[in-house]
Amino acid sequence: MKRVFVITILSFLFLLPIGHASEIIGIEADGDVGYRQVGLIWTTDSPTEEGTLFEIWVSNASIVDTANATKHSEVRVGNVSGIIQPDIGEWYDDCLFDSGEGDWTPVHRDLDGTAVVSVGAIGVNCTLTGLPSGIEIYLAVKSTTPNGESFLSSSISSSSTMSDEEIIVIETSPYVFAIGSIALSVLILLFVLRWMDYRDGRTTSRFAHLYIAPAILALSVLTFYPVLYGIWLSFTNADQSHLGDQSFIGIDNFITVISTSGFFRVTGFTLIWSVVNVAAHIGFGLLLAMALNSDDLKGKTAYRTALLLPWAIPSYISVLVWRGLYEPAGALNDFLGTNMNLLADANGARIVVILVNIWLGIPFMMMSISGALQALPKDMYEAAEVDGINKFSRFRYLTLPNLKSALVPLSLLGFIWTFNMFNVIYLMTDGGPNLDFDGPGSTDILITYVYDVAFRDGAYGVAAAWSVVIFVMLVVFSWTYMKKTNATEAVT
Amino acid sequence: MARQIICFCIVVVLFLPGCISSDQSSMVDDSDSSIELVVWHSFAAESKEQATFESRIEVFMASNPGVEVKISAIPYPEADQQFMIAAQGGEAPDIVRLSSDQLGKIGDIRVGGQPLLEDLRTHLTPIDRAKFDPRALNAMRYDGDLLGIPASQDCLSLLYNPLLFDAAGVDYPNENWTLDDMLLASSSLTSGDVNGLALPVKNAYWWFGFQSGFGGSLFDQNGTPTLDSNGSADAMDWLLDLELEHGVVETGTQTESMKTQFLSSKAAMIVDGPWNWATYEAGRIPVQQSILPIVSDTEERVAPLVTYKGWSVSKQSLNKEWSTKLALFLSSSEVQKEFAIETYTMPTHVDLYADPDISENVVISGFLNQLMEGTPAPTTRAMAMVYDPLVTAFENVYAGEMTSSEALLLADQALESDLEGLE
Repeated sequence: MKRVFVITILSFLFLLPIGHASEIIGIEADGDVGYRQVGLIWTTDSPTEEGTLFEIWVSNASIVDTANATKHSEVRVGNVSGIIQPDIGEWYDDCLFDSGEGDWTPVHRDLDGTAVVSVGAIGVNCTLTGLPSGIEIYLAVKSTTPNGESFLSSSISSSSTMSDEEIIVIETSPYVFAIGSIALSVLILLFVLRWMDYRDGRTTSRFAHLYIAPAILALSVLTFYPVLYGIWLSFTNADQSHLGDQSFIGIDNFITVISTSGFFRVTGFTLIWSVVNVAAHIGFGLLLAMALNSDDLKGKTAYRTALLLPWAIPSYISVLVWRGLYEPAGALNDFLGTNMNLLADANGARIVVILVNIWLGIPFMMMSISGALQALPKDMYEAAEVDGINKFSRFRYLTLPNLKSALVPLSLLGFIWTFNMFNVIYLMTDGGPNLDFDGPGSTDILITYVYDVAFRDGAYGVAAAWSVVIFVMLVVFSWTYMKKTNATEAVT
Repeated sequence: MARQIICFCIVVVLFLPGCISSDQSSMVDDSDSSIELVVWHSFAAESKEQATFESRIEVFMASNPGVEVKISAIPYPEADQQFMIAAQGGEAPDIVRLSSDQLGKIGDIRVGGQPLLEDLRTHLTPIDRAKFDPRALNAMRYDGDLLGIPASQDCLSLLYNPLLFDAAGVDYPNENWTLDDMLLASSSLTSGDVNGLALPVKNAYWWFGFQSGFGGSLFDQNGTPTLDSNGSADAMDWLLDLELEHGVVETGTQTESMKTQFLSSKAAMIVDGPWNWATYEAGRIPVQQSILPIVSDTEERVAPLVTYKGWSVSKQSLNKEWSTKLALFLSSSEVQKEFAIETYTMPTHVDLYADPDISENVVISGFLNQLMEGTPAPTTRAMAMVYDPLVTAFENVYAGEMTSSEALLLADQALESDLEGLE
């Protein structure tokens, strides 16, 4: 009898834990762990058994049962072999458990991301995420054993006290200050000039400086400041990850520009592109202008209108149409009965983009030269005709010299515009085909490559350095061209 | 005296703005209890996607009367760039729709030392997270941060026009097809102005799946580029030969011309995503879908890159809790289901995989099967940078300047060099 009694007692003692949900004897919350987060620690009265499930419930009122609460998360007790154990900060949220040895270990994660703690854990410490900020909430933990027995802890109130990080704004005051300083400097300069005029006795136009002040101010803010800022940027490490906190790096960006593979190729093609285009624009424009200026031509208005069409259509539309014509399935191949892919071939693409830009640029030159031609005195030609001068000689010795005053600035402007012509190449080939790793594409010119560097690579400093190089090239060319052609004298 | 006053006024006007603190937090009008959220989406104009999106925004505003949502459309390919520019000017919207590869471009960007997107890990409860496919959720993470809530996923698959197959007496594609079967069928279907197959053979995005099928990979486990890994060159050759050697793909086929050819019944098969399905249906093409074939040599299936799109919250948002709430709503099971049924947008909610309306829809379930065979695109800066060197590699091989092995080796070196430059 006694033996039966002892066996019964022992059986009871051994079997008791199986049917007993680990009671949560301690629960603590900390609302100061992060924005929208609350730290929750709970401890159990006994080592947890395999299959136990802890559910964390949240409510805006004290939790006496889970009916009026929302489940926040689950922590499972089970076999952790073969499942991942992310370090603190690696997972979406952090959870630790105390296996009874007094130290906290990161939980494991099963395939659906549920936290898993080792069998025998006596405490769990989780950072609960996704909670409202600054609002009091109640938390409770419900433990359930594999056989369905459950225990709900007392609820504890807390609130996530940490607010959102300080609002990030762009610090614009230095820029406003710089623009203000430039404008003020210009004003002071104007006042000084006015005072100097007064001192030197130039009093006939007392308000001259006042009249030009608005234009000078606008130029300072809209032109000089951006140019100066661009030059400053070219000496900094500004890029997508350093905008706003860039620092001075000397001439590194210029070294990068010069050492770019394809620097000389892209510069060379830019020159070819500009020279061929401007020459063709002037040549065809002059030819057409003279044809339209001929007294023998009937229907001038109709021709003039037709020849103006390329200029009248938005260039991006006409460029896209041209691209379609040159594509393998385009009209050119249909017409020729071929299967060429001109835009995929480096030289073919270069020729195509130049041809399209020539087509686009002729109307402007034609109209400008046509205007200049009409201004030439007719009696000069009549006198030459009477003297028996042939048409070619009249063109060579009368028309061309008299058109110089128009052609020189036109060709200079045409060169600068073509040098920086972006949309034709961007829309036709996007600089491609790209046959050079880490370098410009076959049809890239300087300006299209700068776009890639700035907006595809995000290297603003390097792009600014490229822009400065372009600026210097154009200034040197313009200066030399004006000196050689006496352009300013010709205009005046 | 008057002149001195004018001068003083000008000085004050010019200098005052520079001296005023730009702390915008003080500008928030606490007295106004209404909340305004600005959302940038990238759905095509006047598309079903846009209509569905706008109707759900109306629902959200109706159920949250204190919240006004202002929406703006931006072009999908430029979404990341436009968001970066806006954020750099302090004008970022509260929520923006971005893809996982776009997150890879934005993740490292800092303005004034701060990231551009909010880490949403602290905003979502584990129960919120558990609703999403873990692959999708993981794809929205960059360097540990959760930068978006996945609302959709997509990848390429094989689409075909059964009428052209019937006319040529060729069997339809099936799940046991190999690339050899596909090539044979393409040859049989190519006749007159009809091509057996249309796909942009020089486009790296199309190549990724074939590279994987041939046994290659873009990156190793450490994230180091492996563009020239085993099988990569074979995959490139196989694709380019479709046009250059076999002539089953029309010369110079690009993404748009692939679509045009299929719409005009001049291509029997294309490799395309679910995003154009509605267009093909509207064009009265009896389009069918089949899973991409198996590579005979490796016995691996062509595994297209899976990309995910989702809703991200700006770090500059003044209402991050509400923004997250709206992002969760736009990614919710109900909204995803509506998008799936209305627009063939593949869901990321695990519950929807088993939903009868989804699983019994031939198109959606077909693409979901393809997605399960796909490879999730890594959300890394390297992935965002992989395209440039590959474009050059393809151009060189296409133009006959290099072999595919040489081109891919150089592309790999160029990418590694670019990555070193970042460090």
